Amino acid sequence: MIAQLFLSLLLLAMLPYGLVAARRTPFLGPTIGLAAVTGLYFVWWPQDANKLAHLVGIGRGADLVLYLWVLLSMLVALNLHIRLKAQAELTTKLARALALLESGVGSEGQESEKQKMRGRAHSGGAGDPTRGL
Amino acid sequence: MVLAAYNEAVTLPIVADRLRSLGYGIVCIDDGSTDGTAIAARRSGCEVVVHPFNLGQGAALQTGLEYALGRDADYVCTLDSDGQHDPGELPRLLEALDRNGADFALGSRFLGGTIDMPRPRGLLLSAAIMFTRLTTGLRVTDTHNGMRAMTQRGAASIHLLQERMAHASEILAQIRRSDLPMVEVPVTIAYTAYSLAKGQRASSAFRVLGDLAAGMLRR
Repeated sequence: MIAQLFLSLLLLAMLPYGLVAARRTPFLGPTIGLAAVTGLYFVWWPQDANKLAHLVGIGRGADLVLYLWVLLSMLVALNLHIRLKAQAELTTKLARALALLESGVGSEGQESEKQKMRGRAHSGGAGDPTRGL
Repeated sequence: MVLAAYNEAVTLPIVADRLRSLGYGIVCIDDGSTDGTAIAARRSGCEVVVHPFNLGQGAALQTGLEYALGRDADYVCTLDSDGQHDPGELPRLLEALDRNGADFALGSRFLGGTIDMPRPRGLLLSAAIMFTRLTTGLRVTDTHNGMRAMTQRGAASIHLLQERMAHASEILAQIRRSDLPMVEVPVTIAYTAYSLAKGQRASSAFRVLGDLAAGMLRR
């Protein structure tokens, strides 16, 4: 019973984590949630875990729950990797904006320039065909 | 002309001098070099934008595109700074843009030629081309070729998020999504001991795949 409660608490904690992850990675969040709910079910109905474990060629239901936990850990690691990558992208954006500002081509001016160009693109030509940068 | 450079103080002046002799305006994006690349670029008459630290070639190219657009360039070309491209071939890319009414002209070493390309590199590129065709649906004959020319409209449609080498695949995917016309132009790439030592290793392919996969998973 103590182990069941402990595992349930851990798996329940995964649900809000899955919800938060879903905002950033549409595939990962629901998968984490599904794995956590499945794990919870097997913790409280181990006989079903045993049946399914036998069906898929795993010896015991407890092993199946363990494998689910390993899967969850891997998904959490993947989610962290994606978050780190998103952070790196923000840092890159900031560093690039700084570099452009220092060069005199600020990101604000750049954005308006882009909008101007999009307008030009929609209205047809790409401007005077002189050789630029 | 956008030259992304990381520790290219040796070759960049040669490339820049050749480009200037052809009449191109050059911006060098010094991607956090520690060997005086920015100084060498300024001495060669380039405008220089300096990243505060090394961000990767994809980030440097995006900075270069934004700089060029901010300066109202009508055409933007990109070229590697390690000397493996021949700047003399750039006019053909620009001509191809005008002749075909295209917004992107991409250099292709497999339509043109290679000098001293190691066989493993050729095999790796073949696999990368197949992967690019499968994932982007673009019928390209080359990928990870830094020689490109684009119109202002084409350059404005590119927003590279991949900081490192995966940008080469990302740019093709964005060209496909933009629905703007693209043409390939034969170019020659010369592999030297210098460019091979500085270039990508076979193991980089796994990193590129990982970066692309992470990019696809992210919203």
